[in-house]
Amino acid sequence: MIFRDTGRPTIDWNFLGTAFVLACIGVLLVYSATYYSNPDLSYATRQIMWVVIGLCLMIAFMIVDYHVLFDVAPILYAIGIVLLLYLLIFGRLTAHVKSWIHIFGFQFQPSEFMKIFTALMVARFFDSNDRAYLDFRSFLTVMGIIGLPVGLIIVQPDFGTAAAFFPLAAVAMFFGGIRAKVWVAMVLAVLIVAPIGWFAFLKPYQKERVLIFLNPERDPLGSGYQVTQAKIAIGSGGINGKGFRHGTQAKLEFLPARHTDFIFAVLGEEWGFIGVVIVLGLYLFLVVQALDFAKHARDRGGTFLIICLISFIIFHVLINVSMQIGILPTTGIPLPLLSYGGSSTMMFFIAIGLIANVDMRRFVNAP
Amino acid sequence: MRVYRDDQKFLQFRINAVLWGIVAAFVFLAGSFWFVQGVQAEKYRGLSEANALREIEILPKRGLIMDRDGKILADNQPAYTLQIDRVVMKPLVKADEQRRAKLLAFLAQVLQRPPAEVQARWEKEAKEVPFTQPFTIADDLSMSQVAAIQAQSIAFPEVNVVPVQRRNYPYGTMAAHVLGFIGEVSEKEIKQNPDLEQGDLIGKRGVELMYDQYLRGRGGAEYWEYDADGRRLSEYVPARKQPVPGDNIYLTVDFELQRRAEQYFAENEMVGSAVVLDPRNGEVLAMVSSPAYNPNVYSKRFTPESWKEITSNPFKIELNRAIQGLYSPGSVFKIVMAMAGLSEGAIHPHTNFGCGGSGHFFGRRFRCWKKEGHGAVDVRRALKVSCDIFFYNTGGRLGVDNIHDYARKLTFGEISHIDLDGERAGIVPSTQWREEHPVRGDKKWYPAETISVSIGQGPLIVTPLQVANMTAAVANGGKVYQPHVVRYVDKVQTDGSYKRFRVPSRVLHEVELSPAALKAVREGLWAVVNEPGGTGSNAFVEGLNIAGKTGSVQVIAYSGWIKATSLPFKLRDHAWFASFAPADNPQVVAVIFIEHGGAGGADAAPLAKLLYESAFRGQVAGSRLDLRNPETLEKIREGEPPLPSPR
Repeated sequence: MIFRDTGRPTIDWNFLGTAFVLACIGVLLVYSATYYSNPDLSYATRQIMWVVIGLCLMIAFMIVDYHVLFDVAPILYAIGIVLLLYLLIFGRLTAHVKSWIHIFGFQFQPSEFMKIFTALMVARFFDSNDRAYLDFRSFLTVMGIIGLPVGLIIVQPDFGTAAAFFPLAAVAMFFGGIRAKVWVAMVLAVLIVAPIGWFAFLKPYQKERVLIFLNPERDPLGSGYQVTQAKIAIGSGGINGKGFRHGTQAKLEFLPARHTDFIFAVLGEEWGFIGVVIVLGLYLFLVVQALDFAKHARDRGGTFLIICLISFIIFHVLINVSMQIGILPTTGIPLPLLSYGGSSTMMFFIAIGLIANVDMRRFVNAP
Repeated sequence: MRVYRDDQKFLQFRINAVLWGIVAAFVFLAGSFWFVQGVQAEKYRGLSEANALREIEILPKRGLIMDRDGKILADNQPAYTLQIDRVVMKPLVKADEQRRAKLLAFLAQVLQRPPAEVQARWEKEAKEVPFTQPFTIADDLSMSQVAAIQAQSIAFPEVNVVPVQRRNYPYGTMAAHVLGFIGEVSEKEIKQNPDLEQGDLIGKRGVELMYDQYLRGRGGAEYWEYDADGRRLSEYVPARKQPVPGDNIYLTVDFELQRRAEQYFAENEMVGSAVVLDPRNGEVLAMVSSPAYNPNVYSKRFTPESWKEITSNPFKIELNRAIQGLYSPGSVFKIVMAMAGLSEGAIHPHTNFGCGGSGHFFGRRFRCWKKEGHGAVDVRRALKVSCDIFFYNTGGRLGVDNIHDYARKLTFGEISHIDLDGERAGIVPSTQWREEHPVRGDKKWYPAETISVSIGQGPLIVTPLQVANMTAAVANGGKVYQPHVVRYVDKVQTDGSYKRFRVPSRVLHEVELSPAALKAVREGLWAVVNEPGGTGSNAFVEGLNIAGKTGSVQVIAYSGWIKATSLPFKLRDHAWFASFAPADNPQVVAVIFIEHGGAGGADAAPLAKLLYESAFRGQVAGSRLDLRNPETLEKIREGEPPLPSPR
C-alpha cells in the first residue's frame, strides 16, 4: 500500500456533501408529506433542527481522533447499556414497546446511539485482533459485545431495532473471518432455533407481520394496507412523478407513516422513477466511497469502524427501500438521513462523521 | 505497523466482494422500481385515482339487550350530530380569511350556545380527531336545528348533519345496575385494546361493559371521492364496507319480577337491594339496587346539569348494592350457623337451649332480641322465632374458625364471579383474619366476639348476592353456582342471521351438607313463614310453601330493648329477608335487603310475597296445579299456566 505522505488531514467533501444533499432531500420530503395535515409545518421545522444538530454532532465526531474514541468506547458502551437497563425498568410503553427515554418533553431512543457505541467496541476489538480467521474465543467475545445490547433491546421488546444490529454481527463474521464448517453449523443452528423462537417468543402482532408478508391479502387494512398504499403511491408516480407537493396519496393521508418509514414512497410518488434512481445513486455513492475509505484506512481498527458504520447504512437502505414495494415485510426501520426522526438522523450523521474521521486520518503522520 | 499487512489482501478481497454485492442489490432494487413505476404505472395510477377517496366511518349498531323473554331493555335510537369537515373547509378558508369566524358565529346562533363554548369544543375536537376525519361539534340536534342548518348547507358545505345511533334504555332506571351504561372510550382503554379508537362509545358498567366485545359490533366505511382541492364529489359505492351490528344479549332477568321489585322500593321510597336467583342453575331472575341511576343520562354528552344530578344524590346511585354493598347479615346468618352446628355435631336436631331473654358468655352478658325470652328452643324453633340465645350457644360451641369455614363454603368472604363488574368480597372473620387485621395492635380474637358473629353481627360483612347464593346452596342441597345475568348471546353470522350461544351454568363447588341438617334447617325456615309465631309470616302466600329467614341488623350499638322505629332514619336497623320456594322443590330464591328498613319481617318479607306471587303467577289461588312438577312451574313462569287438573 502506498501512502501519499502529505501529513495534513484531508476532508473528502464529496462524501460529506452527498450526505448533506440526502438530508436536504429528506427535509423537502417531510415537508411535502405533512404540510397539508400539519399546516404549522412542525414536522419539517423539527426535521431541519435535527439535521442541524446532526451536522454539529458530525463535526464533533470528526474532530476527535477515532483512536481517542476507541479508548473511551468501553465507557460509552457502558453508559448505553445502563440507559437500556434504565428503560427496561422505568421505561414508558410507547406502542407496545419500551424504547423511548423522555426528557424535557423530547423523547429519544438510546438504542440508536447504542448502535454507534457497539460499532466502536467491535472496531476496537478488531484493531487488536489481526488473524485471518476468528478463533472460537474471540468469536464469542465479539458476539458478546453485540449480543448484550441486542438482548436488552429484544426484551423491550423491539425486534425491529434489535434486527438493525444484525449487520454488525454479519460484519464481524464476514470480515473477521469464519471458516466454512462453522458457517454450516450456524445455518443449522438457526434452522433449529427459528421455529422455537416463532412459537415461544414472537408476539402475536409480530407473527401477524410475517404472515402478512407471506400473504399480503390477509389484512387489507392492517400492515398489508401500508404496503398496498405505498405501492400505489410509488406506482402512480410513474417515471416523472406527480411533482413536489402534488402527491395525492401522501397529502390525503392514505399513506401511513409517510414522513417516517414510508418517506421513500413519497419520493416515488412525487419525484417518480427519476427521483428514486437519483436517491439510490446518492446512497450507492456514499457506500462506494466509504468502502474505498475502508480499504485505505490507516489501521485495522479504522477499516473495521468504517465497515461497521456503513453496514448500518447499507442495511437500513436495503431493508427500507425493499419494504416500500413489498419485497420485504414492513418493519420499523427508517431510511438513513431521509426519514423524519431525531434519534436516527443524529445517529446517521454521527456515523458519517466517524467514517470521515477515519478517512481524514489515513496518513500516519496526520495529527 | 502491525502484522496485519499479511491479512490486508484478504480484507481487500472481502471488501470488494461486498461492494459488488451491494451494487447488484441496488441494481435489483432499481429494476424493481422500474417494474412498479414504469411497467405497472398505469395500473397504479388508476388505483391512485380511486384512492383519492376518503374513508368515512359508519358506526355499527350496538347489540340489543333484552330480558329473558326478549323484552327490549336497551336499544338504539336515531339522533343527529353536527360535524365539521376540515378537508372541505381548507380551500374555503384560503379563499376567505374570515371563514372560520363566520362559521363559528353561525353555529353559535343555530345551537343557541355562547360562541366561546362552541369554539372551545372545536379546538378540543380538532386536536383529537385526525385531519381527514370530520369531527363532531354538537350532539342531539333538535329537528328545528337540523332544518336551520340544512337551509344553509350551500353556504356552509363543510358543515354536515349526520344521523347517528344513540343508546337508549326505554324503561329508564329499570335494571340499571345490571345493564350498566356506555360512555366515550378513555385513553387508558384505547391503550389496552387496539381495536378501539378515539371517540368510540363503549360499555362502562354492568352488562354493557362485561359483554362489550359482543355488543360493540364492527364499524364499516363509506368511500367518498374528493378532488385535489378537497371537495367531495360522490360516493364510490363498490368499496363500501357494511358495518356489522353487535350481538344481541338476552339477560336471565325476568322483566315482570324486576319491575315488581323496583316498584316496591320506589313506592315505599326504600333504599336497598333485592336479588332473585334460580337455585337450579344460578340464573339471576331479578337484581335491584335502589335508588338507581338513569343510564340514558350517560348516553348523551354530559352537561353540567346531568353531572350534578348524578353526583349530588346522597344515596350513591351508581353503587350496585346487590354486589357492591357490604352489610352485616344479621339473623340471616343463623342459617349458616344452624348448618355449621348440625354438620359439625356441635348441636343435634333435638338439642335444646333455654332462653331467658339474656345469657352470660365468656364473662359478658348478651341479650336475646326478645326480653321475655323464648323458653326451651331447638334448632327448628330457634330459626322460626330467631332466638339469639340458641345461636350464642351454638357459636360458643363451634368457635370462630368453624363458623368461618362454613361461611366460606357457603359463598361468604369471596366474590361469586358473577358476570358484572366491581363485585366485592366482604369479610368473614377468623383467628387468622384477626392476626392480619389487628385492632389497635391486638392480634387476638376474643371468644366473646364469636358470640356476636353467631347472630351475624361483629366484623362480618356480606353482599346481598352472597346471601342469595348461600340461600340457593341451602335450597338445592349444597351446590354453589356461579351466578350470571346473561342467558344467551345471539351472535351475528356472516349471512346476517343469528346463532344462539347459551351461557352455561357452572357449579363452582359443592358443600357437603348432611341430609339431617338440611331437613332440620329447611323445616325451621318453612316454619318462619308458615307457622303462627314465625317472624316471616308477612311473606306467606296461600298455596305455596315458602321457606325463609328474617334479619334485622343494628346500625348503632344500643343497650336495652328499644323499638327501631323510634330512631332517626340513618340510625334505624337494616332489614333482611332471605327465602326460597317451593320449600320441598326450590325453584326461586329471593333475598331482600332494605337499608334502615327497620325489621326484616315487617319491611322486607312483604316484597318477597309479591315476588313469589309474580314468579308463580296464575297458580296462587288454585292450588290444584302440580307445583312439584318442574315443567309446570317453568310454564307458569313463562306466563303460560297450564289448566288446573279437574280433581
